[in-house]
Amino acid sequence: MASARRLKRVAASQPGFINLKSASDSAGSASSRRKRVNKNKKKSWNKHSDINDIDEFLEDVRHQERTTGGLLSEKSDDSLFFLDIGQPKKAEQKEEEPVEGKKRKGKVSRPLRIDLILQHDSLVQPPKDVLAYQQPNAKKLRRIAQKAEQLAAKGVVPRRQKQLLNRRPVDRTVKKAVTEANNNPDREYYDIWGQESKNTADPWYLQQTGKKLVKRPEKLNEKPSVLPAVEVIAPGGSYNPDFFSHQALLQEAHDIEVKKQKEEDKIAKQLAVNRADTATEETVFNEQVEGLVEEENEEEEVALDEEEEDGVVGAIVLADKKTEKKRKREKAEKIKEQQRLADRRQTDQRQQLFQLRSIKASIKQQAQKTQAKQIKRKAKQEAQKAQPRRLGKLKFQPQDMEVQLSDELAGSLRRLKPEGSVLKDRFKSLQKRNLIEPRERAKFKRRLKLKYVEKRAFREIT
Amino acid sequence: MGGLQKKKFERGSATNYITRNKARKKLQLSLPDFRRLCILKGIYPHEPKHKKKVNKGSTAARTFYLLKDIRFLLHEPIVGKFRDYKVFVRKLKRAYGKTEWSAVERLKENKPTYKLDHIIKERFPSFIDALRDIDDALCMAFLFSTFARTGKCHVQTIQLCRRLTVEWMNYVIASRSLRKVFISIKGIYYQAEVMGQLITWLVPYQFSHDHPTDVDYRVMATFTEFYTTLLGFVNFRLYHSLNLVYPPKLDSKTESELKDEDDYAMNSESYLEKLSALSASLARVVSTAEEEEAQLDQFPVEGEDIETMEAREKEEKQQEAQKKLFEGLKFFLNREVPRESLAFLIRCFGGEVSWDKSVCIGSTYDVTDETITHHIVDRPNVDKQYINRYYIQPQWLYDCVNAKILLPVEDYFLGVTLPPHLSPFVEEKDGDYVPPEKLKIMALQRGEKPAQEDEEEEGEEEEEEEGEDEEEEEDDNEEEDEEEEADEKNLKIMEEQRSQGKSLKVKVTPGKVKVENAARLEQEEKAEEKRLAIMMMKKKEKYLYDKIMFGKKRKIREANKLAAKRKAHDDAEKSDKKKKAKTRK
Repeated sequence: MASARRLKRVAASQPGFINLKSASDSAGSASSRRKRVNKNKKKSWNKHSDINDIDEFLEDVRHQERTTGGLLSEKSDDSLFFLDIGQPKKAEQKEEEPVEGKKRKGKVSRPLRIDLILQHDSLVQPPKDVLAYQQPNAKKLRRIAQKAEQLAAKGVVPRRQKQLLNRRPVDRTVKKAVTEANNNPDREYYDIWGQESKNTADPWYLQQTGKKLVKRPEKLNEKPSVLPAVEVIAPGGSYNPDFFSHQALLQEAHDIEVKKQKEEDKIAKQLAVNRADTATEETVFNEQVEGLVEEENEEEEVALDEEEEDGVVGAIVLADKKTEKKRKREKAEKIKEQQRLADRRQTDQRQQLFQLRSIKASIKQQAQKTQAKQIKRKAKQEAQKAQPRRLGKLKFQPQDMEVQLSDELAGSLRRLKPEGSVLKDRFKSLQKRNLIEPRERAKFKRRLKLKYVEKRAFREIT
Repeated sequence: MGGLQKKKFERGSATNYITRNKARKKLQLSLPDFRRLCILKGIYPHEPKHKKKVNKGSTAARTFYLLKDIRFLLHEPIVGKFRDYKVFVRKLKRAYGKTEWSAVERLKENKPTYKLDHIIKERFPSFIDALRDIDDALCMAFLFSTFARTGKCHVQTIQLCRRLTVEWMNYVIASRSLRKVFISIKGIYYQAEVMGQLITWLVPYQFSHDHPTDVDYRVMATFTEFYTTLLGFVNFRLYHSLNLVYPPKLDSKTESELKDEDDYAMNSESYLEKLSALSASLARVVSTAEEEEAQLDQFPVEGEDIETMEAREKEEKQQEAQKKLFEGLKFFLNREVPRESLAFLIRCFGGEVSWDKSVCIGSTYDVTDETITHHIVDRPNVDKQYINRYYIQPQWLYDCVNAKILLPVEDYFLGVTLPPHLSPFVEEKDGDYVPPEKLKIMALQRGEKPAQEDEEEEGEEEEEEEGEDEEEEEDDNEEEDEEEEADEKNLKIMEEQRSQGKSLKVKVTPGKVKVENAARLEQEEKAEEKRLAIMMMKKKEKYLYDKIMFGKKRKIREANKLAAKRKAHDDAEKSDKKKKAKTRK
């Protein structure tokens, strides 16, 4: 206690110290009774000595420093006080005038409350971070810099810089030779048929490294069809056609349609149920009574069957063994027959000598027949060349004919309505010329089954 | 005796073919890649003669390729690129999945691409080969260039196609090689003669696309990929053959004229637009002021007599005249006519053309220009008409090109019902039915001045003439129609004349008649010879000859029938019109 009191005294005795909370302090200490304790150990010193007043004092010092930036006692009077001469009148007047104008400006310039809260409110300067100002190896670096300066003054270039200077400059502008895509709209062309021998490298090398282009077989340059690439539409397909050519085209289209219709009818006919196969009352009745009514005929038939079966069995058994005599006779007969045939052949051949003319005629006839057949076959082959081949699962289906009916024809070019699609025409032409096989678009196959569920919300409505 | 038993399907046609799936596996490619490769390399499926032998006893329909072709494909460097691309796609997918954007960037930078140049060279060893196959390429390029840029195919492909077609059209204009045009309901057919090759292509109408669903776009795109490469190289060569700059540049003179329109498109695009306007001529490598046309020396080819040479010369002259068909004429296109097609046509034949400034870039003069000779209009009437120009419908231009002469404009005035637009691709043999409109044009080509009524008669006359020729040839007359009876009468008269001629010849009467008959005499002699020859014929040959003659006669009869029908039709229409007119009155 004594020490505390002394400290207080020390503080109070300091010149110009103003205690902010002196009154309350003294009252608290006076009321408590003294307590006797041993003070022979440091532990008990700490425990039982009263350091409140020192704490308070130090707190007070800190408080002053925080709020005013130093001890109040060390401040000059001018900074603490001001001369009160009443409120100046003019200032009020001035303030009233720009109320409207300034209000907004004030609003803009006033900092946000949240910023105010977050502001550093202590006037004590934060302690300097020493490390921030220290440079590691400062002395060494300084010395190196000094040395470099000296060397630069002498004209000696350091090795690193020399290496950098010696490096070949990288040309950033030239990019890697990228092959452009084929459909680049600005791509360049050159005379591909002009320059003959572009690669002069050793053919042996090229062959061994697999870089030599293989010669294209001549046969591949043959076209698979004799049809022209662009088949011009019939004259009836003009936008303003001649009457007869238009009629001819219409007739052609009509014929195709009729043919299609006939095929469809044929299928329908084949699929139709036969009148005789449908059940009538009689047949239904017969079916219901089947087996209930006895018929005598059946039994007779069964009996007949049995007889027949007996006969067959007997025939198998009847195979007899041939006698020696019979065998000999048969052999002689056979030889005799052969002899007879040989004789006959010979005489025939001899006779043919006199038939020479007719033989010649028949040969000629045959030759003519084969020739005719050959011609026919060749003509057929020629016709086949213009036909689309069967190149896959599907047969070639010709495109629907483009036709405009008489009332669809436009009188002028402006009102012309194009018929058909050129894209489809080209596609079909490729198929017709056997360049690609007719194909169907791949169908979408669902792997898992779809499940239909009616949502409750929907069910409520319906 | 014996030896090893022959196994089935180990020799012969079974080993010459390979199924598509096997080929695909051999090349280690997916089906789309395989298909692409085949299209690019020009290898097509093949139908074997004996399917059962090739298909190892089965008759199932399969796609077969020749084994040798597939072996040839094994050497193709592009196959490697396809595989690279597959790997690239896999890597890219993986990088995306892992959201490794830097990897994505890097991969995209090194995207594997391939060139088709060597394939072009391989498939078309010479330039003429390529030119022969250019029809397809042109059709495809024109088709793709009209596609909307909506993702049906790459936008770049569309742009490239547009560029190539514009180059082609500019070449045709510069070389003046267009021959025929046909406006059909499908699209417009053009035919040009380039370096002696007739090239036909089909241009779809603009904005007419509904995209059909049953067309494989991937296949079409592959064909286009190949054909654009081909067309580019062909264009290059063609431009150089005319000393034109490639890629095409506008003439410096005309370019300065066109400069003022900056607001039309972006700078990068506007050049192509200006080119595609087709109104300006192209810059040449060596700027020569109008090449002097040197008269070529004529060397008669062996085995070619003077007559054919003369015919050829005449044809050439006609062609020259056709090339300058619209020279000196000045056209103005109204906004409702198909601008590109007409501008192309007019410029191909040396005319000058312009249009409203708001329709397209590249217009050279205004509507108000006093020197305009023809104003192409496709509407019933025009408000403000200039007195010194013809207002005609666009079909006139097409018909003029096909007829190779300037047709009379009266039939094509505004609001007039147009004469039919005939197909120039039909070539009638003698004896076929020829529509009267065509006869009229033919008469005009021969330089005859038609009056309205004369034409029909002329047509009839022609038919009659033909009929007479036939009559001379035929000896044995079988059943005959009334018309033929009339012909018979003619024949008799002629024979009389002939006999008179002969007698005159014998009697040596005044020379005047003789002079008249000089040509006739020759004809008669020929006819006589022919008749004798027919008389000398063997029975078999005679039979054949009669058959041919009968066929010809039948043809004529049919043609006559059609002509009569047509006349009846026309008469009926005329009377209808008259009735209508009367009722109106």
